[in-house]
Amino acid sequence: MGELATAWLDEANEASFNAFVAANVAPFAEDWDRQQRIPESALALIAGAGYLGCSVPREYGGQGWDTVSFGLLNEALGRGSCALADVLTVQAMVSMTLLKWGTREQKQKWLPPLASGKTIAAFAMTEPGAGSDLRSLSTTLAREGEHYVLNGAKRWISCGQFAGVFLVFAMHGQHSVACLVPRESAGLRIEPIDDLLGFRAAGLAELRFDAVAVPAANIVGKPGFALSHIAPVGLHFGRISTACSALGLLRGCFEESIARAATRRIGERTAGQIGMVRSMIARMGADLEAARLLCHDACRAEDEHLPAAYEKTLIAKYFTSRAATRAASDAVQICGASGCHASSAVSRYYRDAKILEIIEGTTQIHEDVLGKMFVDKAGRIAHER
Amino acid sequence: MSAELATGVKQTVRDFILRSVAIKKLDDDDDLFASGIVNSLFAVQLMTFVEKTFAIEVDVDDLEIANFRSLNATTAFVLRKNGRLNG
Repeated sequence: MGELATAWLDEANEASFNAFVAANVAPFAEDWDRQQRIPESALALIAGAGYLGCSVPREYGGQGWDTVSFGLLNEALGRGSCALADVLTVQAMVSMTLLKWGTREQKQKWLPPLASGKTIAAFAMTEPGAGSDLRSLSTTLAREGEHYVLNGAKRWISCGQFAGVFLVFAMHGQHSVACLVPRESAGLRIEPIDDLLGFRAAGLAELRFDAVAVPAANIVGKPGFALSHIAPVGLHFGRISTACSALGLLRGCFEESIARAATRRIGERTAGQIGMVRSMIARMGADLEAARLLCHDACRAEDEHLPAAYEKTLIAKYFTSRAATRAASDAVQICGASGCHASSAVSRYYRDAKILEIIEGTTQIHEDVLGKMFVDKAGRIAHER
Repeated sequence: MSAELATGVKQTVRDFILRSVAIKKLDDDDDLFASGIVNSLFAVQLMTFVEKTFAIEVDVDDLEIANFRSLNATTAFVLRKNGRLNG
């Protein structure tokens, strides 16, 4: 693939990640999808490779990688299994939020087990009545004496089935607040959500908090800043991860499609000799090239700590997840009936791609934000003339 | 020295905000949050800009509306944070 799509900067890392996925992820992804679970042995493998703490600084037991390397890893995992990549996504969302906004004590307590993978984290924001509109959270955190009490429910929480700690977003009176809630907390009930369209092995769950005691030491940031400053940091890394996972899925669709087009015979010709198939592959290949550039640009902007990293990431996530959906649909078409069977990777890609357009901000939320941003820019240019 | 620094910081932050959001002018004490100028995306972009431009790190102890409410507040915060308030 390297000869067709622009190579990322670190070819050694890319080769290493792809080899890991080819040996440990891709051959098992369909089985995990059917079983609707990732085995502990697979989680132990990515933890043992240091992947779950790859972005966490070395002083906290992580690998201290830059974001470009993080993106490459996500691309490789997304090529193999978006469900497994999702574990990396939410681990990064919680770890990077704590790295930015945690107290010294919180970082020392939580980052080492998150970096080693001893503890898996989940980002508990979405509620039955609050998905895209985060201002309508109904989960509450109330002060009672020396500690706080959490009540409410969260739904569609990735890794909720096996996470050891949850970063929960709630309202404290009129103020948004974030807090850490360990899995073993009394009053926390976790119910698996099965039979999803895609990401079937990502361990989604519904969480119910019934008077869960939260010590003050577990409040992350300060009340009033959870939605304006705390969550955006986590969601930003979630979008970087998701964009790059979508890039991996897109690459998978392309590679499966060209392999199939070269070998599938239709009469006297191969599928790849048919113009309409070539059109689908052309769109896929051009999207892949563009998506790689956008993802790489967003990762590099984050490494340079540029304010523009946020909008570049929105653009990368928006473009790449939509391109992945188009590519998955065409890949199934090119593979024909075999692409419709559960044993086929493109069948799983087709279902997982749609999820990529929904998580970490739907396509429509991205269009709303990006559309306003572009219109505002046009307005400023007109004003300056 | 302090007044010159403050003027420079304020102008740099003002230019960034005016480049980034759809407003034509911004007074020193305009409330960035109450006016709707700052949404959640721009809040972290402004924070990142301040960190990158003035070589400071905003951490949990700095999470106070009083530090970011206006241009004057942000300027005072930047100068205090990099120790040049009385420079």
